[in-house]
Amino acid sequence: MTQRKRDLGGGGGGGGGGLRGWGAPPSGWLSLLSFAILLLAWLVAFSSRLFAVIRFESIIHEFDPWFNYRATRYLTENGFYHFLNWFDERAWYPLGRIVGGTVFPGLMVTAGLIHHVLNALHVTVHIRDVCVFLAPVFSGLTSVATFLLTRELWNQSAGLLAACLIAIAPGYTQRSVAGSYDNEGVAIFALQLTYFLWVRSVKTGSVFWSVCCSLSYFYMVSAWGGYVFIVNLVPLHVLVLLLMGRHSGRLYVAYSVFYVVGLVLSLQVPFVGFQPVRSSEHMAAAGVFALLQAYAFVHYLRDRLGLTPREFLALFLLCVPLAAVAGTAALVLLTYGGYIAPWSGRFYSLWDTGYAAVHIPLIASVAEHQTPTWWPFFFNLHVLLCTFPAGLWFCLKDINDERVFVALYAVSAAYFAAVMSRLILTLTPVVCVLSAVAFSNVFERYLADENPRNGNNAAITENKDSKRSSGGGRSGKLRKQHVASSSEAGERPGRGPTEAQEKEEEEGGPGIHLRAAVCLTMLFLLALFAVHCTTVTSTAYSHPSVVLTTRGSRGDIDVIDDYREAYYWLRQNTAERARVMAWWDYGYQIAGMADRTTIVDNNTWNNSHIALVGKAMASNESAAYGIMRSLDVDYVLVIFGGVLGQGDDISKFLWMVRIAEGEHPGDVRERDYLNARGEYRVDAGGTRTMFDSLVYKMCYHRFGELQLSARQPAGFDRARGAVIGEKDISFKHLEEAFTSEHWLVRIYRVKKPDNREPLENRLRVHED
Amino acid sequence: MTLNTSPKLLVLLLLAASSSTVLLTRAAAELVNEEVKRTVDLSTHLAKITAELLLHNQGEQAVSSFTLAVEPELAPHLAYIGASVKGDEEEDGTLELKQTTIHGQSGEFYKVMLPSSLAGGAKLRVKVETVYSHVLRPFPTHITQAERQLVVFQGNHYFYSPYVTRSQTTRVRLSTKTVETYTKLGNPSKSDESIEYGPFRDIAPFSEDALKIHYENNTPFLTISSITRIIEVSHWGNIAVEETIDLRHTGAYLKGPFSRYDYQRQSDSGISSVKSLKTILPASAQDVYYRDEIGNISTSHLQVLEDSVEVEVRPRFPLFGGWKTHYIIGYNLPSYEYLYMLGDQYALKMRLVDHVYDDQVIDSLTVKLILPEGARNIHVDTPYPIDRMPDQLHYTYLDTFGRPVLVATKTNLVEQHIQDVVVHYTFNKILMLQEPLLVVGAFYILFFTVIIYVRLDFAITKDPAAEVRMKVASITEQVLTLVNKRLGLYRHMDEVVNRYKQSRDTGALNSGRKTLEADHRTLTNDIASLQARLKAEGSDLAEKVGEVQKSDGQVKELVCRSCQEAERLVAGKIKKEAYIESEKTLAGKRQELVTRIDSLLDAL
Repeated sequence: MTQRKRDLGGGGGGGGGGLRGWGAPPSGWLSLLSFAILLLAWLVAFSSRLFAVIRFESIIHEFDPWFNYRATRYLTENGFYHFLNWFDERAWYPLGRIVGGTVFPGLMVTAGLIHHVLNALHVTVHIRDVCVFLAPVFSGLTSVATFLLTRELWNQSAGLLAACLIAIAPGYTQRSVAGSYDNEGVAIFALQLTYFLWVRSVKTGSVFWSVCCSLSYFYMVSAWGGYVFIVNLVPLHVLVLLLMGRHSGRLYVAYSVFYVVGLVLSLQVPFVGFQPVRSSEHMAAAGVFALLQAYAFVHYLRDRLGLTPREFLALFLLCVPLAAVAGTAALVLLTYGGYIAPWSGRFYSLWDTGYAAVHIPLIASVAEHQTPTWWPFFFNLHVLLCTFPAGLWFCLKDINDERVFVALYAVSAAYFAAVMSRLILTLTPVVCVLSAVAFSNVFERYLADENPRNGNNAAITENKDSKRSSGGGRSGKLRKQHVASSSEAGERPGRGPTEAQEKEEEEGGPGIHLRAAVCLTMLFLLALFAVHCTTVTSTAYSHPSVVLTTRGSRGDIDVIDDYREAYYWLRQNTAERARVMAWWDYGYQIAGMADRTTIVDNNTWNNSHIALVGKAMASNESAAYGIMRSLDVDYVLVIFGGVLGQGDDISKFLWMVRIAEGEHPGDVRERDYLNARGEYRVDAGGTRTMFDSLVYKMCYHRFGELQLSARQPAGFDRARGAVIGEKDISFKHLEEAFTSEHWLVRIYRVKKPDNREPLENRLRVHED
Repeated sequence: MTLNTSPKLLVLLLLAASSSTVLLTRAAAELVNEEVKRTVDLSTHLAKITAELLLHNQGEQAVSSFTLAVEPELAPHLAYIGASVKGDEEEDGTLELKQTTIHGQSGEFYKVMLPSSLAGGAKLRVKVETVYSHVLRPFPTHITQAERQLVVFQGNHYFYSPYVTRSQTTRVRLSTKTVETYTKLGNPSKSDESIEYGPFRDIAPFSEDALKIHYENNTPFLTISSITRIIEVSHWGNIAVEETIDLRHTGAYLKGPFSRYDYQRQSDSGISSVKSLKTILPASAQDVYYRDEIGNISTSHLQVLEDSVEVEVRPRFPLFGGWKTHYIIGYNLPSYEYLYMLGDQYALKMRLVDHVYDDQVIDSLTVKLILPEGARNIHVDTPYPIDRMPDQLHYTYLDTFGRPVLVATKTNLVEQHIQDVVVHYTFNKILMLQEPLLVVGAFYILFFTVIIYVRLDFAITKDPAAEVRMKVASITEQVLTLVNKRLGLYRHMDEVVNRYKQSRDTGALNSGRKTLEADHRTLTNDIASLQARLKAEGSDLAEKVGEVQKSDGQVKELVCRSCQEAERLVAGKIKKEAYIESEKTLAGKRQELVTRIDSLLDAL
């Protein structure tokens, strides 16, 4: 329908009869086109994430995905109820871990379900492949959800563009490449879907959409801890709408249903348990719920009692502050009474960026928990970083209920991303939405031609262009609004038109050359963005990190498979129940690939246990032996990058020391590992304590004899570019059990105590 | 000589009488091993013992079979035994063996059927080949990385046989020169890598005398502790083979630490360890993969040769004594090389077990043959006896009632067992269509559902407002088309006027005007009727259409005016400048009106 109108808009133009040739109803064409674009976006989202699979293989990446994979395998092998009750005695030896109650099961259940359905249809897919390809498939779903959200906020064409943007945006790709089988892979989809359904339910005020929103929220709760973002953003939206005087029956229905159903559903997830009613993070939602009820009640009273505005104001001013004070007091009392848990440390670190470094070295030791500099933003968002404020401006300029939401989403996500580099992930979707709005607006303004003076040709091109750029029936109306307000030419910040162009606009729209220039610039930016995304995905994010590659002198690729070599050795050639001690980073990999019991792993729930391992790693051999005996350790595993020039346990050794010092300040002191000048050295400038530490000895055992190349002396550590300080390393309680080909992984066997303690020196009797 | 042996023969005859295996004993009485040349090959981790016999039938009657015996100590380790006739002609005739027993004697016995019976006094050369696995015991059982591997072989100095042996030599081949000890019966001579025993003469039946050799053997002591071979036949042209292999180093255990430094820097460090093995696959093997539970094993190399595909299978880590590994190797074969058919009859001829490495030992083999869905009347011809398990069903892509799976197991296999198995079955070719039809059907149902869903209204409540809206929308659509057409009329009229201005043909102008009038009237009437319908639906759009009509009337007037002006110009009643002036104002007004109509239409 829009097409015909548009054609008529051409007025004196000659396109009148031309459209008859299109035959089918235009609405059908449009939905087909939208469908095709979405399908392509999905395909692009899927295939651009396959670099790692094509270059390497279908393999699970990094650390956490290995746990998720192992848990999923357990789920498929033992069924859902066994999974919920799973007590993993092979992690956190000797404590064990109640896995069922300490994971977000959404991811595993999703993969398990897909696997189950496929196998029920006799499509025999290995669970590993389901896990590997889950994130790319879900990124396709994410782009559909983003399309829906953007369409609710703006229009169909912006929605399609947003879907295309999120499909390739590196900020999202970084967590969803094939093999990156992690919660975020499905959670971003759930996040976008929940927001879409929330906006939809606020718009319609229908219980149906609100319940859908709660269900989607439930999925999100079951999939990722980031659901806290939703459960705070939605109440914030409601609160801001109330403050803006935009309260409506729709809002009331939407939020009341969402809160109640969502709360009940979120209590069903074992890991979340009673947190939604007992922790401070969730209290904002409850408070807003109460506030909304009070607000509605006051309004009800007004209608019922027929109050005059003056009386109503008095009542309002009496009731609302009273309710607020009562609510806050109740909250404080409950918190002091111990019924509501106070804010967690991770939460504090979101407000005070220095908090973790001081109080929780364990959190601070993870790179992705640190405050990002500007370049991760640019790296992950590229040009969208510049265009998204423009989109935000467009939304604010033409505000309505749902655009308030997206504005809040943008601002809060931007803040969190600035605090913790990992949260760029949650910023990316909203950036894509708003950038799509900005681009779409510009294109509609500059690609469309409503000026009849330009005659037939322009009208025809416009026909084609409008098909490309604008979607559904509402876009025509929207465009008119922009035409109406086009004299306010400042609406495009940043790369706005020059003054001459503005003048031209005042005369009735920019000229054809300007249009072309602007459109080409925009297209160029988008093309640059696409190129950037592909490059970044290919070079930075498509690495399994389990398998390394180096380029040989002839340009051939050498695969360095040391991790799997060593893990597989452990799996095949150690006792079934052997206990392996390693720094917690490798816990999940050892459990997943080597299938052996670990002392600590990436689920860093027990700080003191980790500190104990840190202490063993940092102590001298005999002290460490005591700890290892008490922990029943059979093998110790260290990562050593001195041969390859990789980061390794020596590089993160100071974190082990710090974490150990936090729990055992008397035994481990960071300054003992730093020389007089406060430097951390492995060469002759290092300290005795450093040379005696277990990590140092295990990494450099016999390395002093190894001469890597003719130009370098024996014992030259490539990772640190120095000759090691202590070359003569021997063990009393350990022996080398395995070292991988490039020495990247070294495994030591902890010897059982001798039947009789051998004497250090010969008996004096013989000397006489 | 005969005197010498007669008491023993008597004993044998007595035994035979009691066991009532008369035929055998009579044959035994008459057969003699005239000459035995025995080779004990200990150069690998297997003991391969070959004996060339010269059988002599000393009796009068012809014999059709003879018996081979295996020492009781070695019998449990016997992996393969085979006999062939060494005739004058080049090709050796392989003989059929049947296991049998001899009462009162321990060990294993095999009855060998001769191709033609051996007449009295005749002689026959026979070659007997036996392979024993796990008979070389490492001693010491645990060695360090720097030490060499020493093994002990315990066997028999004599050729173990139910017959008298007239003359026998034994040649032992070793893998290295280093020999710790060896039994010195009959003063054997030792050269570089071999020891020669004998000749021993006139050896009684079932004689045993312990042969013991303790020597260095660093050849790969690899054992496949279990292998599962899955052959999946598809009638679409592909046979997929997958082998899941558990490999173990069964030599001396590694004692103490494993030092990577020594292993890399000293060539003789870990000399008995295994770095890699070479697997030979069929020449047509494609898409070879080599992986384990945690992914591809990136250390392999593939070499395509003319008559085979060679895979250098390198485990993730070198295998030292006692270490094991596990991997999966798989590949595809084109079915035309292995699948034969005649009508509905099919025959699959594949290797029951294939090459994994030279001198392989397989402790336990499981073969699973997956035939296409719908294969019936399955019949298997195996080259040697093998234990059939109950058949299973296998479901994979697009299967509905499952593919039949033949399962068979066997233990203790060596290279000599690489032989073909033939599976006959019948398969109805119509069933080939089942899977494509299934896909077509699924898509058909999907599209049909979508069509149904889109076309039909499944709402449980009626929404009158929506219906009205839809009606109004369709009417508006029609109005738009009509108005559009009407505007087209004006453009057409403009052209007529222009032409008139050039040709000055009043007739054409008049007829043009007439058609305009007529078409315009019908269109306007149509629009008016639509407007009335809109009104009936209670839509406020009717008013807008009214406005459109009004503006349109003005447009038409303008068109007529411009037409008249043109006439006047042609008639010379007004000057050209004045005409242009008036035309401009008219055009301006018209433009204005058209814009208004447009905006009204946009609002519809």
